[in-house]
Amino acid sequence: MTARGEASRFETLPYGVGRLTGGWALLVVALLALVGWGAYAYSCQFVEGKVVTGMRNIGTMGGATWGLYIAFNVYFAGVACAGITVAALIRLLNLNALRAVARMAELLTVITLILGAFSVLADLGQPLRALINLPLYARPQSPFFGTFTLAIAGFLFDSLVYLYLAGRRDAYLMARYDTPLRPLYRAWAAGYRDTPAERERHRKTTFWLAIAIIPLFITAHSTLGLVFGLQVGRPGWYSALQTPAFVVLAGVSGVGLLLVIAAILRGYLREEQRLGTGVFRWLGAFLLVLTLAYLYFVVVKVLTGFYAGHHHEQQLTQLLLWGAYAPVFWGSVLLLALPAGLLLLQAITGRWNIPALVACGVMVNLAAIGKRYLIVVPSQTHMSLLPYGPGFYAPTWVEYSIIVGLFALGALLYALFVKVFPIMDVPEEGVR
Amino acid sequence: MRTGLMLLLVLGGFALQGVSYFFLAAPWGFPPSGVEHSNPRVPFAAAFFILGVGLVFLGAVVYELLPERGEG
Amino acid sequence: MAKYAMVIDLERCVGCRACMEACKVENDTPQAVFWMYVFRFEEGRYPNTRVWFLPRPCMHCDNAPCVKVCPVGARYKRPDGLVATDWERCIGCRYCEVACPYGVNYFNWKAPEKNYYLDWKDRDLGPVTHGATPPYKNPDLEKPYGPERRRIAGGGHLKGVIEKCTFCVHRVEKGQTTACAQACPVFAIQFGDLEDPNSTVSRLLKKRPHFRLLEEAGTQPRVFYLGGHPPGGEVRQIEGVKARV
Repeated sequence: MTARGEASRFETLPYGVGRLTGGWALLVVALLALVGWGAYAYSCQFVEGKVVTGMRNIGTMGGATWGLYIAFNVYFAGVACAGITVAALIRLLNLNALRAVARMAELLTVITLILGAFSVLADLGQPLRALINLPLYARPQSPFFGTFTLAIAGFLFDSLVYLYLAGRRDAYLMARYDTPLRPLYRAWAAGYRDTPAERERHRKTTFWLAIAIIPLFITAHSTLGLVFGLQVGRPGWYSALQTPAFVVLAGVSGVGLLLVIAAILRGYLREEQRLGTGVFRWLGAFLLVLTLAYLYFVVVKVLTGFYAGHHHEQQLTQLLLWGAYAPVFWGSVLLLALPAGLLLLQAITGRWNIPALVACGVMVNLAAIGKRYLIVVPSQTHMSLLPYGPGFYAPTWVEYSIIVGLFALGALLYALFVKVFPIMDVPEEGVR
Repeated sequence: MRTGLMLLLVLGGFALQGVSYFFLAAPWGFPPSGVEHSNPRVPFAAAFFILGVGLVFLGAVVYELLPERGEG
Repeated sequence: MAKYAMVIDLERCVGCRACMEACKVENDTPQAVFWMYVFRFEEGRYPNTRVWFLPRPCMHCDNAPCVKVCPVGARYKRPDGLVATDWERCIGCRYCEVACPYGVNYFNWKAPEKNYYLDWKDRDLGPVTHGATPPYKNPDLEKPYGPERRRIAGGGHLKGVIEKCTFCVHRVEKGQTTACAQACPVFAIQFGDLEDPNSTVSRLLKKRPHFRLLEEAGTQPRVFYLGGHPPGGEVRQIEGVKARV
């Protein structure tokens, strides 16, 4: 087969699979460079120790011992939970309008779980020890047991299985083309034959998997909330509202990011039909409800802290409203209120605008990052129960580089997957 | 037979999770007041827990992948 | 089984910080790490101010939040009451540090340099040190302790691992008192066994009113304070150590 012949074989595959365009290659190179830079930053940290970061001990050192890495771990875990939940809800509630984004959502979960795991590893002082000691010694009484076993390992396995099973039919359809990727598709399809019995079994399995995922997601993300919510020694963390607020913000950031990804793929694959306004209307509506719910939590928390509360709770509220953390707080609130308003406008007029939705998706994610930062840091720098005095936390280039590297890794994995497997369900007619 | 295997994996997976959480890993202490609350009763209990989670989802894979008795 | 506790008399403490120094030398703690720390507090408005001091070791709580949250069981409670850190098992997640209401945990952000404070090889110091073993060479700090044989004394100080006051476990196991109690010039710090009704700590607690820090947090600390009062919202720290790695 000539090179020409090879290229033409990929021409017929749906959704740009196998077609490596110049733009795509450039993107991959740029992402690889960013990942490499992040890896270099991590190597500096690994060799010299975390002294190269801006984190320092709570108390006499006046610092924050958990910083960007933990904030982003919570962020990634949140996005992951939302991704798979959207996919599950699509199958459970038969939301055919959203079927086009199901695999995008499943992939988002798998990738962000990997990023979440890496950000925790980046945060550990002895990561190599942890890889052995956690499976060996992990204690159920520590909230970290739940995050390590359920939220990362369990959820990752679950979403990989879901992605695999849900993709079998498309793998079978793709295997009918004669391409170099055929062995992969055959392996993925694993003997799938498009008979009515098979389809019924597939429907049943994914249905029950979807049902199983919801409690897993709630438990897994709740343990992450409990990591913070159970700490009596940290005003601002110790709250029963912590865990449900975590879960809702997870939904906000996940649906928002899914919106952005769907819009990017819509433009890149020129799939205005399949990824039409119907899809975006649903995602926009989800995002609106979740954002309003989260804003409600914010109002309740601020009102409670403002009205009455422990000396420390009141101090924290003042710190957020007009103290050192006010810019981040008000910035995040604005980045939630503005999208809420935009979404409400679109919902009322019934005119959904995709660029506006993308802007909303980006804004709520920036707000989610800001809120995660506000959950993690102020309670450490300013909320010591003993009068140590205020501290500060200023991330360094190492932390920023590692976070950027993680995002680049996520984008890279996404870009690679899109070229290897169809990112949406293959329509029957597309097969020759 | 396929359904049986699936049920075995799912129930076995949950059972393994329960057993490793409550009987193999470090016991909860109210409060934890001794060394025994910081050591797993069986090493790698957490790995067994994760294995249990994996088995449950393997059950789903088995159910979908294995041919029914009588099918080709 | 012994039930160790510490009793600190705030009416005797003069804020000399000899206990901080002794702890540092005994346990060879790295730069900016203060297993024992002494607050200097000021209350009131000039000219009606009052200055007082509060030594703060680890509280070795009976209901320790740090023990509950350690994911690998590196931080554990011994039967004699000491809350120990196994520096061979610690993975450096710093969960104990964020969980502790008292701020007693110190994470090693870099590999500590030995020999911070005194060059024991300096010939001029010979007459002073009389060939004593330098703290960083004290073999007691590296040994495993307890029936569980875990390395919990001051020898850790590894990059990426947490450490805190050990109630000088390597001295207590030999029947000695803690370094801070030993060094205090006014006998403000007492360490002993609450199970022994004749120990100084038992007698002091029977005789005088006492309080513990952050009682409302429910941690049940093992460090009792005589005289004075808990630092409330109106108290400010002055002359804090400006120590950041």
